[in-house]
Amino acid sequence: MLGNEAIAYGALSGGLAVATAYPGTPSTEVLETIEEFKDRYTHWAANEKTAFEIAYGAALAGARALVAMKHVGLNVAADPLHSAAYTGVEGGLLVVSADDPWMYSSQNEQDTRWYGVQAYVPVLEPSSPAEAYAYAKAGLELSERVKHPVLLRSVTRVSHVRAPVEVEPPAPPKWGNFVRDVKRLTLVPAHARERRRELVEKWEKVREWADQYMTVEDGCDKAVVVTAGVAYTYVKEALKRLGTCATVVKLGMSVPLPRRISEVVKGEAIVVEEGDPVVETQLRALGVSTRGKLDGYFPRYGELTTGKVAAGIAKALGLPYSPPAVYKSPMAPPPRPPSLCPGCPHMATFYALKIATAGLNPVWSGDIGCYSLGINTGQQDILTHMGSSVGLGHGVAVAAKRFVVATVGDSTFYHAVLPQLVDVAAKSVPMLIVVMDNAYTSMTGGQPSPSRILPVEKITEAFGIPTFVIDPVYVKASIETVKNAVEVVKSGRPAVVVSRRPCTLMAVRKARRSGVKLPRYFVDVDKCVSCGICYNVLKCSAISKASGGKAYIDPALCVGCGVCAEVCPVGAIKGEGDRAKWLEVWRQA
Amino acid sequence: MAGGMETGIVIVGVGGQGVLTLARWLGEAALSAGYDVRVAEVHGLSQRGGAVEVHVRFGKEVYAPVVDEGEADVVVALEALEALRGLRYLRQGGVLVVNRRIIQPPGAWYDIGQVLDALKKSGVRHYVVPCYEEALKLGSPVYENSVMLGFVSALLSLPAPPSLDEANKKAFQRGAALLQNPPSPDQ
Repeated sequence: MLGNEAIAYGALSGGLAVATAYPGTPSTEVLETIEEFKDRYTHWAANEKTAFEIAYGAALAGARALVAMKHVGLNVAADPLHSAAYTGVEGGLLVVSADDPWMYSSQNEQDTRWYGVQAYVPVLEPSSPAEAYAYAKAGLELSERVKHPVLLRSVTRVSHVRAPVEVEPPAPPKWGNFVRDVKRLTLVPAHARERRRELVEKWEKVREWADQYMTVEDGCDKAVVVTAGVAYTYVKEALKRLGTCATVVKLGMSVPLPRRISEVVKGEAIVVEEGDPVVETQLRALGVSTRGKLDGYFPRYGELTTGKVAAGIAKALGLPYSPPAVYKSPMAPPPRPPSLCPGCPHMATFYALKIATAGLNPVWSGDIGCYSLGINTGQQDILTHMGSSVGLGHGVAVAAKRFVVATVGDSTFYHAVLPQLVDVAAKSVPMLIVVMDNAYTSMTGGQPSPSRILPVEKITEAFGIPTFVIDPVYVKASIETVKNAVEVVKSGRPAVVVSRRPCTLMAVRKARRSGVKLPRYFVDVDKCVSCGICYNVLKCSAISKASGGKAYIDPALCVGCGVCAEVCPVGAIKGEGDRAKWLEVWRQA
Repeated sequence: MAGGMETGIVIVGVGGQGVLTLARWLGEAALSAGYDVRVAEVHGLSQRGGAVEVHVRFGKEVYAPVVDEGEADVVVALEALEALRGLRYLRQGGVLVVNRRIIQPPGAWYDIGQVLDALKKSGVRHYVVPCYEEALKLGSPVYENSVMLGFVSALLSLPAPPSLDEANKKAFQRGAALLQNPPSPDQ
């Protein structure tokens, strides 16, 4: 099973009752798996902070609870995380945070384990899906036993690795019973000072808990290698590849360091870990002379591999190492960046925005989600974190007096933009906010978004912001409506455009299940004038530039949205099939 | 396979082609054959129409989930241009398996013959398999990954994964049969 499924089953067999999350790669499947168990309370929260608070509250009330998120999500939840260490918990609280080294699907490479150091929360670090199962179960039990939250740090190569895992049947959920304890649960200064003193004392005891998760494999006394998490798997393979041996100290809990480590590691050690030198920094504080990331034995960025670990160990031990020979490609492969799916409603929205704001030289303030791929059409100038669109856009609009177009998806709108809207409305900031409402959190696989029960326009209208709703597949009508919104902004006020059409992937799936045949579009090469609007401006990924600059639509990729036929200036793109029927099925997906 | 105790496979293709599913099937097949297995997937942004790669390692005992450059016994490419990108994973003497299909990258046009000629000249051991054509004969391009699965499983002497449904099993058998009669016995 997948590492994330293993985490879910581990928690279920540990008597999990309440599970919450905000989706984010590589953490999403944890809650997706738990959702199948209807005897538990599960919730896709508005953001990681609200997710954390629900689980934290449940654990305060004595239940066993889990909250899952990606590494950057923990920043959003950092405030209650710190409080949780002060109050402790009555039940069990397992905080799952999955890091993404090399940023396959993230904006940074931060290491969750620093939060363990900073917030005084112990960090369990599994090396494989089987261990993820065991640690999730043990982590919940430990948390309840010691009345303290526990972090489970995963990485892409644990969360998104499939491997054999033996699981026990889920245990019945352990619900809570709130017991009043005002001095513990109200962090007013007088109480918090007392909690702080306790926390610092407790942290020394936590090192004894860490002892149980340390294993020592006595290979030989040539070297001591200290490792944790997925890095352990590369160490095992690298030693084999180098044909050498070492005493391998594996830390199941990497923050704080186990008390017993000083008995095993004396003098010097090679330290191999994924992410930042968190273990290495702690070891140096204990006076160990380390060879790890701090001095460049292993790279400070990207993901470890067996090869990188073998090279580092060889360098530390003065052994020869030559990496395997690599074939050179006989011709350079063309770049193939991620792009919006064929027929994606965001593609049509970006097109309408481009035409309707022509001549205004807008600043495109972007956000995290599929629509980040507006970068391919030059429509993302800023794109940094959840909520960057409206938050940073507000700053740019007032500082540079430029026409700002902030583009944000529905899920991110509820996650981060709601409070920013208060700021925009309070100052009546002239900027165009475009909410691309496709009814799902699509990038992470289509979790439900609140947009169906809480339509965006009801909220923005309540803020007094003029709001326009478009259906982006009707390109010409959309352009006219966006132009009206642009006029509002030009008059010195904010405006919102809600571009509504469900995610194409979900719609196509629905159509396949219900036997609806999709229309297909093709290019009449005799009529095509090679203008390139469809493949250069609209940039549908089903359309490519064939010989003579003529457009070609790959029939295996086209989903029959018909947007290309609307943008073609000479009517060279024709459809076959029932577009109206398909668009109606799609609208309800 | 030669090259050590574990077998390393890297599967490459374009998002939406079923690269992940192909890797899961191979992992499941290796597990049912009694091996320890790791399948290292990618999700999220990296799946959106861009280049996708998934690693499969199996053997008696497997630790690391990913295959290093120059260490794969087999590189499986569901798309010919991605075969060029995936080639760096292949170990010396390893085998490249390429689907005879091009998915055009943004703003460019490549001819399949040009790519296959380049591969032929490179001296890399490889098979060109018409998975896409076979899938169309079976009624839909969605079967191209199961045709490829059949071919690669035959190459690695792996069984069909137990979870394969009837339609995909048929495609699997087509793919396996192609190894018996390789359509283009390149080098």
